[in-house]
Amino acid sequence: MTQSVFKVIVNGEHELAVDASEGTLLEALEAHKLEVNYHCKSGFCGACRSTLKSGSVRYLTDPLAYIRKGDILPCCCVPESDLEIDH
Amino acid sequence: MSYSTFNQAQINPLNEPMYFGNSVNVARYDQQKHSIFEKLIEKQISFFWRPEEVDVSRDRVDFNKLTTSEKHVFISNLKYQTLLDSIQGRSPNIALLPIVSLPELETWIETWSFFETIHSRSYTHILRNLFSDPSEVFEDIVINEQIKMRANDISQYYDNLIFYTQLWQTHGEGEVEVDGEIYNVTMRELKKKLFLCINSVNALEAIRFYVSFACTFAFAERELMEGNAKIIRLIARDENVHLTSTQHMINLWQYGEDDPEMKEIAEELRDDAYEIFMTAVKQEKQWAHYLFKDGSMIGLNESMLCQYVEYIANLRMQAIGFDAPFPEQRSNPLPWMNKYLVSDNVQVAPQEAEISSYLVGQIDSSVDASDLGDFDL
Repeated sequence: MTQSVFKVIVNGEHELAVDASEGTLLEALEAHKLEVNYHCKSGFCGACRSTLKSGSVRYLTDPLAYIRKGDILPCCCVPESDLEIDH
Repeated sequence: MSYSTFNQAQINPLNEPMYFGNSVNVARYDQQKHSIFEKLIEKQISFFWRPEEVDVSRDRVDFNKLTTSEKHVFISNLKYQTLLDSIQGRSPNIALLPIVSLPELETWIETWSFFETIHSRSYTHILRNLFSDPSEVFEDIVINEQIKMRANDISQYYDNLIFYTQLWQTHGEGEVEVDGEIYNVTMRELKKKLFLCINSVNALEAIRFYVSFACTFAFAERELMEGNAKIIRLIARDENVHLTSTQHMINLWQYGEDDPEMKEIAEELRDDAYEIFMTAVKQEKQWAHYLFKDGSMIGLNESMLCQYVEYIANLRMQAIGFDAPFPEQRSNPLPWMNKYLVSDNVQVAPQEAEISSYLVGQIDSSVDASDLGDFDL
């Protein structure tokens, strides 16, 4: 069984344990009561755009919004390793 | 460089830039230079809806209960949105189709504009329900100074690009005299006009709609004008797809993933692009001021709306490689907006007025043979 729970550090101040098998990264941030930016929650608007400082993510659906270098769309991805992000 | 509706040259669209290469001949999508535009077409078409599907009849009763200042807010926003979609329903076609060079992008532009015409038709649907004769509302759009000012700012970039393209198509590059004025038409100049135009459209799709969206959803939060809100939700969802397309164009240029000359222009005109966006921000704040000139509405006032414009501007500017222009406005002052902006691929409770999927795409076509198991003739 591969590891599915990863440590995610948000804005350098919040440390969460995120289970990649339970919903998206954005849902995990919401579940931890962090203030989140989003609109479509389907990967096409890009409003949830966040900076990935370290680690890697896997997309559950093909994101349609342009992903600039170093950015991720938490509404449609899950962690693949421990992460450090700015949201 | 006259335009041909079917360019007979043998061209490989995989080697063409998005714009100002060879004009498109075969509408083929088996191979794509920028496959994102085909994906956006599919996404947009999957969102197809018709204004008539949404029942707005209850809104008339609600509208009559609104205060005079609230009626001003509601009707002014509809006028402004009517203007925006009047422009968007034609301009991408007229300005961009003559210069596009990729089949998938050409079809995206047509799809995009077509959906804007659905939005335009929906405003008539809403207004017909509210007034036995909506003429006065429509006629004011070309008289109202507040709206005219915005119309001018949006259309000038399109009009400039269209005019230079026409000169180029009829005279080619070089100096042309029209009505006593000399115009120097060069490919560089055309591409600059294109760059500014796409940045202006991007600002339009990114923030110009959002002040009116916020008012609509603020009414809906009070369970007022819910039919209208349902339509605006569908419009907002479409506009998000359109926005993604202009963000793609700008980013593809910036990253040098398309025409190398456009990368140079993106750097050269970076400050102009910033200014275009910030002017739109300023105008939207002025619009909020105009809306609430006679008084606020419950749950929303001018300052909250201005904060929301700043918040949205931060997200939109970062999406095209600028720093957030309003670092103090990092948090969303109108968090309830998001529930109306979520694209509802999940049907939660169909009886709730705020769920738009109740009305569109409600037919379940996945019928299994076992569903008919206990069916006797």
